[in-house]
Amino acid sequence: MATERAGTWLPEAGKLELGSCCGPRMLSPERLALTDYEYLAQRHVLTYMEDAVCQLLENKEDISQYGIARFFTEYFNSVCQGTHVLFREFSFIQATPHNRASFLRAFWRCFRTVGKNGDLLTMKEYHCLLQLLCPDFPLELTQKAARIVLMDDAMDCLMSFSDFLFAFQIQFYYSEFLESVAAIYQDLLSGKNPNTVIVPTSSSGQHRQRPALGEASMLEGVEASLFYQCLENLCDRHKYSCPPPALVKEVLSNVQRLTFYGFLVALSKHHGINQALGALPDKGDLMHDPAMDEELERLLAQVPGLVNSVTASSEASCLPSRTPPRVGSPWRPLHHARKVDAESDGSTEETDESET
Amino acid sequence: MIPGKYRSVSGRATNNVNCGLHLVIQTSSLPEKNKVEFKLHKETPSFPGRLLQHDLERNYSSRQGDGRVISPSPRNKSSCISSTTNVTELCGLEMKTTTSSLSAFGDSSIQTPSKSRIRQGCHSAGPNVSGDHINLVSSSMPSFPILQRSSEEKILYSDRLTLERQKLTVCPIIDGEEHLRLLNFQHNFITRIQNISNLQRLIFLDLYDNQIEEISGLSTLRSLRVLLLGKNRIKKISNLENLKSLDVLDLHGNQISKIENVSHLCDLRVLNLARNLLSHVDNLNGLDSLTELNLRHNQITFVRDVDNLPCLQRLFLSFNNISTFESVCCLADSTSLSDITFDGNPIAQESWYKHTILQNMMQLRQLDMKRITEEERRMASVIAKKEEEKKRESQKQSLLKEKKRLTINNVARKWDLQQHRVTSIAANQDRKDSDSPSQDPGQVDGSTISAFPEETGSLDSALGNALQGLSVTDTHLVEVDGDTLSLYGSGALESLDRNWSVQTAGMVTTVSFTFIEFDEIVQVLPKLKIKFPNSLHLKFKETNLVMLQQFNALAQLRRIDQLTIDPQGNPVVSFTLWKYYVLFRLSHFSMQKINGTEVTQNDMIMAERLFGILAHVASSELPQYRLISILGDARKKQFRYLLETKGKKPGIVSEENNDSKRLVGENTNRATLNYTTRDFYNEKLEEIKEKKKFCKMYIEDLVKEATEINMKNEALQKLWPQMFIELVRDAVIEIRNKSSYMKLCLQQITDQK
Repeated sequence: MATERAGTWLPEAGKLELGSCCGPRMLSPERLALTDYEYLAQRHVLTYMEDAVCQLLENKEDISQYGIARFFTEYFNSVCQGTHVLFREFSFIQATPHNRASFLRAFWRCFRTVGKNGDLLTMKEYHCLLQLLCPDFPLELTQKAARIVLMDDAMDCLMSFSDFLFAFQIQFYYSEFLESVAAIYQDLLSGKNPNTVIVPTSSSGQHRQRPALGEASMLEGVEASLFYQCLENLCDRHKYSCPPPALVKEVLSNVQRLTFYGFLVALSKHHGINQALGALPDKGDLMHDPAMDEELERLLAQVPGLVNSVTASSEASCLPSRTPPRVGSPWRPLHHARKVDAESDGSTEETDESET
Repeated sequence: MIPGKYRSVSGRATNNVNCGLHLVIQTSSLPEKNKVEFKLHKETPSFPGRLLQHDLERNYSSRQGDGRVISPSPRNKSSCISSTTNVTELCGLEMKTTTSSLSAFGDSSIQTPSKSRIRQGCHSAGPNVSGDHINLVSSSMPSFPILQRSSEEKILYSDRLTLERQKLTVCPIIDGEEHLRLLNFQHNFITRIQNISNLQRLIFLDLYDNQIEEISGLSTLRSLRVLLLGKNRIKKISNLENLKSLDVLDLHGNQISKIENVSHLCDLRVLNLARNLLSHVDNLNGLDSLTELNLRHNQITFVRDVDNLPCLQRLFLSFNNISTFESVCCLADSTSLSDITFDGNPIAQESWYKHTILQNMMQLRQLDMKRITEEERRMASVIAKKEEEKKRESQKQSLLKEKKRLTINNVARKWDLQQHRVTSIAANQDRKDSDSPSQDPGQVDGSTISAFPEETGSLDSALGNALQGLSVTDTHLVEVDGDTLSLYGSGALESLDRNWSVQTAGMVTTVSFTFIEFDEIVQVLPKLKIKFPNSLHLKFKETNLVMLQQFNALAQLRRIDQLTIDPQGNPVVSFTLWKYYVLFRLSHFSMQKINGTEVTQNDMIMAERLFGILAHVASSELPQYRLISILGDARKKQFRYLLETKGKKPGIVSEENNDSKRLVGENTNRATLNYTTRDFYNEKLEEIKEKKKFCKMYIEDLVKEATEINMKNEALQKLWPQMFIELVRDAVIEIRNKSSYMKLCLQQITDQK
């Protein structure tokens, strides 16, 4: 089952080419420009090899019982399926784009039910959920993601699952890129030409930019076209993953001027970018995962001592299959008043799951 | 019969007078009086209830008043006449005294014959005298009748005059009777004392049961010894300034609300203020001869000054409103008091009443009309001792409590400091941690204790081993209270290493943690599981529970029925999902209550709905080796602890083993969700880093080697065709000249030989 599902989801962003080392691609011009070692490093093959060996070392007693060949098979299979990031340390999770995408997908799959239930959660609570999957997940990233949703410093506000997830996707997946963008934006605001020097600064970049944003509030950010030029330039040279320039252009072409957070919000809501990233389904289908729903119903049936509820829930389980996915789920919150109507606080967009 | 009765009157009268006059009258009428008295005494059994029948109404109050007044007199007299009467007679008198005074106190209608006889005598005498021998002539002045007696009467009873039940509304003018010593106006309607100022030799004045509203007209009666004003309408004690030799003052049944103007009555022996409106007792200074004070049936709430009465022997406080011993504590200082009554007061209902009184008033011989036996006194002192002990114990308890409070405050302060430090460090590390300061301001109230560290120290030494199961130090506190084990401060966790008695350990069902880092608690959970196998309810307060993940750690326990997470110091409680996560992760305990609210089926379903997939993903999608390693970690941790304790408790260990197996079997899909404390996790990360470093180098070497080999291989592949051609060419060139080649070969063969 797991392999099946992995088959349906091919990690586009990961560009994993494990099997292609000896293939004809070896002779591609890009390949010829690099040494073997550099190539392997660039494609993150080394990362996985290192990690595999590391894991082997870690569990050598257990693994030696069922065979090293079996271990490597499983390891690389799980890498392909994206399940290799579950409960791993943060340094590994963010090590490759594929890992990031896998983590995003794992987060979505595991906590889709929370969003489906209609609960609005705080940044801290989302952070806790993240930590369930990655115990040392840094708070800073979650905060930044929340800032994209909430737009200001009202960090205790509640967010809907989808708002947070898409913002978090952008922030997490393109985190290095966004830092550089922040630096560029800052330079543009202060009137410098960023193309001359681009120093991808540390996380403090966003902080520096905040008071300046206040000053420039009259102008409402920077000019979109100029900003795009800088970004295009950045994308060309950036060694980390960045959104496809064409899509960035599309985002920026709609407006004359924009602020840094405006840009981030636009990015997070752009479904083309979501597709390009490939980790999450479209916004409309965010709550839709029939395979998992089926699995959940099976689990619910196992909850001890619940006879009545089983029949009830099995009825409920029929509903999603009959109704089109875009119609809100029949799964109503059991205890919470239906808060979904008020869901888009902080964000301007309507959320799909609130439709009925 | 009449003379007898008459005589009894006189006997009574003299009696009454006698109590005040002592030797004076005694000498004059001693023989006769004695005779009468004894005769009465002998007649005692023959008149049982006559008076009861026809004098009940009077009985009620007169018994209070007269009886009391009279009671001391025979005794007094007996002491006076002891020289003349023999011992047996004396005994009889004494007995009578006791019985009469007894009946006087009892509020029931039972009366001792001796007393009723006296009353009867005095009662029946009245009409006789007035009807036969006294003429009340209306005087020239319209309002006052003038009294005249026949000369015969005058001679017979020269010193006494009884005007009982004459329906008098005013005092008649009594002429030519200057030698009168006894005057009786009982049961009339007199509203004012008048016209008696000329009777300067008067010793006994009885105005019982009249309508007098004010004490007046007595200023000239300097020799008055007995003044009976019972059952009148007097509101105030006044105008007694000149009655310096007053011996008996009866004011019962009036409306007096305050004791006053009596301090000059230094000869007064008996004061009766029963059935008045007194709310308290004071102003008793100067009554240096007072031996009996009757204060029954008032509304007295407290008594003062009684210790200033040097001769007071009998004090009657029945039927008042005394509720504490403190309000009458001056009684304890009186050395002369031997007889006291408190019945009918709230205080007499208290369980401590008797022994407290006895303990504090050692001089007492009678309490509430009952003789105090030695036995009772012993009992009282035993009880008092016990009480004292109890008090000391409770004081100790309160000291301990106080100490506990101080310690807890101290721990709280430390905790706050620690929290502050932690958060400030965190703030340094991460400036964006927006709500870090919000945690502490609410709790910085521990500053009050900071002033008393020394005090706690001294308390500690004083009470060091006062209570078992309670160990107190300044930094932490362990307390077993019934079925609750409370731990304050991280140091308290060490107590789990102690050898707890099986009983105590078995009894503990609730364990509460306060001011302890949750991560530290996690480390002792296996110990808790073994040492307190019955613990079903865990409470956490100020334990820094911040993540849902942390609940994973509780899964390793044997059983939890209830979980209480105090919002104070546990930010996780503010999350909407925390309850469901707890239910989900600890579902194998089938918990009953979380934070005091019952867990419903809906909660369980909800929990499963929210997190079921997480468990599913965690269990089904983890690669096999990871599953083993994660589950293995948990198991390894258990084994490590088991190894440590193996030597001591083999039985428990095997059970433990089963337990852990069961746990894993029941809950595999959840078991992957476990919690490692931050320190442990960081340690692990360090370890991983080391390994990674090594792996990186190893892989680098491998890859480099591989690429090198690959390169060489590639180079070889490239060269090989050319090389082959070259080789073939060389070979061909070599063998082209066949003969020379053959020669060469032969040459080589021969050379080899």
